[in-house]
Amino acid sequence: MAEKIGRREFVKRSAKIGISAAIGSSFYQLVNNTVYVYGKEKVDIAVVSGSDYLNNTIKAVELLGGIEKFVPKKSSVAILPNTQSRHPGTYTEPEIVRAVIRMCKKAGAKEMNCLSWLTRKHWEDSGLKQAVEEEDAHLKLIDREDESLYKPVPIPKGKALKEAKIMKEFYANDVFIDMPITKDHAGNKFTGTMKNLMGLNFSVNNRTFHKEGWKTERSAIEHLDQCIADLNTIIKPALCVVDATEFITTNGPFGPGKLAKPQKIVAGIDRVAIDAYCATLWGLRPEDIIMIDRGFEHKLGEIDLKKLKIKEIIT
Amino acid sequence: MSKLSQKKRMKLNPILPLVMILSGIVFFLYSSEEQSASPPGLHRYLPEDSEIGEWKKDGSPQEYKGEDLFLYINGGAEIYHEYGFSQVIIQDYINENKKSISLEIFEMSGNDSAYGIYTFKTSPEERELTLGNQGQLADYYLNFWEGNFLITITGFGEDLETIKGLQVIARAVDEKIESKGEKPLLTSLLPRKGLKKLSVKYFKGNLGLYNTYQFFSEDVFALQEGIKGEYKDGHTVFIIEYKDSDECQERFNKTKESFRGSPRYKNYTSMAEPLFQVDDTRKDQLVFVSAFKNYLLIIAGTTSLARAEKILMDIKRNL
Repeated sequence: MAEKIGRREFVKRSAKIGISAAIGSSFYQLVNNTVYVYGKEKVDIAVVSGSDYLNNTIKAVELLGGIEKFVPKKSSVAILPNTQSRHPGTYTEPEIVRAVIRMCKKAGAKEMNCLSWLTRKHWEDSGLKQAVEEEDAHLKLIDREDESLYKPVPIPKGKALKEAKIMKEFYANDVFIDMPITKDHAGNKFTGTMKNLMGLNFSVNNRTFHKEGWKTERSAIEHLDQCIADLNTIIKPALCVVDATEFITTNGPFGPGKLAKPQKIVAGIDRVAIDAYCATLWGLRPEDIIMIDRGFEHKLGEIDLKKLKIKEIIT
Repeated sequence: MSKLSQKKRMKLNPILPLVMILSGIVFFLYSSEEQSASPPGLHRYLPEDSEIGEWKKDGSPQEYKGEDLFLYINGGAEIYHEYGFSQVIIQDYINENKKSISLEIFEMSGNDSAYGIYTFKTSPEERELTLGNQGQLADYYLNFWEGNFLITITGFGEDLETIKGLQVIARAVDEKIESKGEKPLLTSLLPRKGLKKLSVKYFKGNLGLYNTYQFFSEDVFALQEGIKGEYKDGHTVFIIEYKDSDECQERFNKTKESFRGSPRYKNYTSMAEPLFQVDDTRKDQLVFVSAFKNYLLIIAGTTSLARAEKILMDIKRNL
């Protein structure tokens, strides 16, 4: 969407940055005494649709300003894809992870580390291990049962979760890129950027998000979603790149289930906004997803999509 | 007794223990052979290579019991436990064209649990198959239930070769399961006229219900056992069973307060007890709630009180 500015503002901005620079970075059009600014607009959520997942991922990040905006030179980058299951539509597409690794390399990152407490088999079955190795990134598998590999982190704003146990390896990195697949989840109807962070948390601690003995109790669903929102108050990704290409809309998170195939890559930094957008892709209302609502309550982002600049291109 | 008889007996006596020992050895060997002929636990239901044409086992099976299901499917384990999960075995199969199929055999705690998780995992758009007690085929996977078992078979492609392979393996498993099992009695209480057969869902807790119709995130109904059916004219029936009419009436009263107190449900109207009506503003439809004997009855999506009362009468005839 073009940003509309008045004539006075146009003059002010041009004077500030120099006419030539203004012309170089943005195209200004005067129509009926209103100046329209095209080009470097602020984008909250970038969406690129099409079948070329690798290049579309690159385009999505370009719409946000380019990878250099998020990944400094010589930084170590932690990447968190979802590789929970090998059923179709349940794990982050390898080409999308490949694209992010390549972009990080191009930005001058020192190393790219894919973190996981799942097994090597999970990574092999999904094809993600191959993609990671071919792109010279590292696969760091953390034993899910060894508590000494996790660091206790208090959650001061936590309402249901007061302490997380985050893998120590995570803190050896400078930048974090969250790369979930959006999909159905039987526990709370939806999973996306916020729920994906459970992949950094000690699995025994994750079990406390579900009520003891796996009995579905009165407040079990709200408890799970509040824990997830609380967890998100202590970890902030520099960038989220979401696989919304092909995903299950039933029997999540593990599948097999009905597949939706919108072929979208969704990128941004506002987790609440991105999850809100992704929920609409299969007819869910963001305000009905407790986790998204609680993330909004924690001021982690914007739930009202009408207030956001969503830029979508179709390739 | 003559000395000769004693001598004879003494000759026979050493042989007798030897015969007994030999008999014991033969018996032991025979029993072991019988046991090894029948694989232990869920392994006995895995099709062998000789039983499934061009498909062959690929790797060793994985098994998970009880709480360890979490190791296999993380947060997805919760719904299985709600229905009543015992154990699962997973075996991959492959053919000469490198097509791959994954077989999961879930042993649940009872027939009703197996039926319930089957209804949870299937959708009305899928094609019915003659497998087990009931089976359905989706784009790249199928489910069927039989006895205490839910069987899920997943292909990694939607091509014909894989889809045929799913069914070959499914039939081989079907033949190995002996006990058929019965659907829960509750399923017979849904009026038959106009019922979309494949829409029926059986619940054993709030999570199952929540995934179908999000009345509340809390377990307002204290649901232990319930059923849902969708009808061709657009309405949906929920029947929730309680241990007796007193418990049902108590739950009806609490449910009434939850609906009245929720900002989502508007225009609460009480009819001749026990019946009330609300507008579900989220789904933009009417919801009627009634209690009869030890059953809570909910009608959603019907357009008028008169219509709801007719449906309630049809349900009560079955109860």
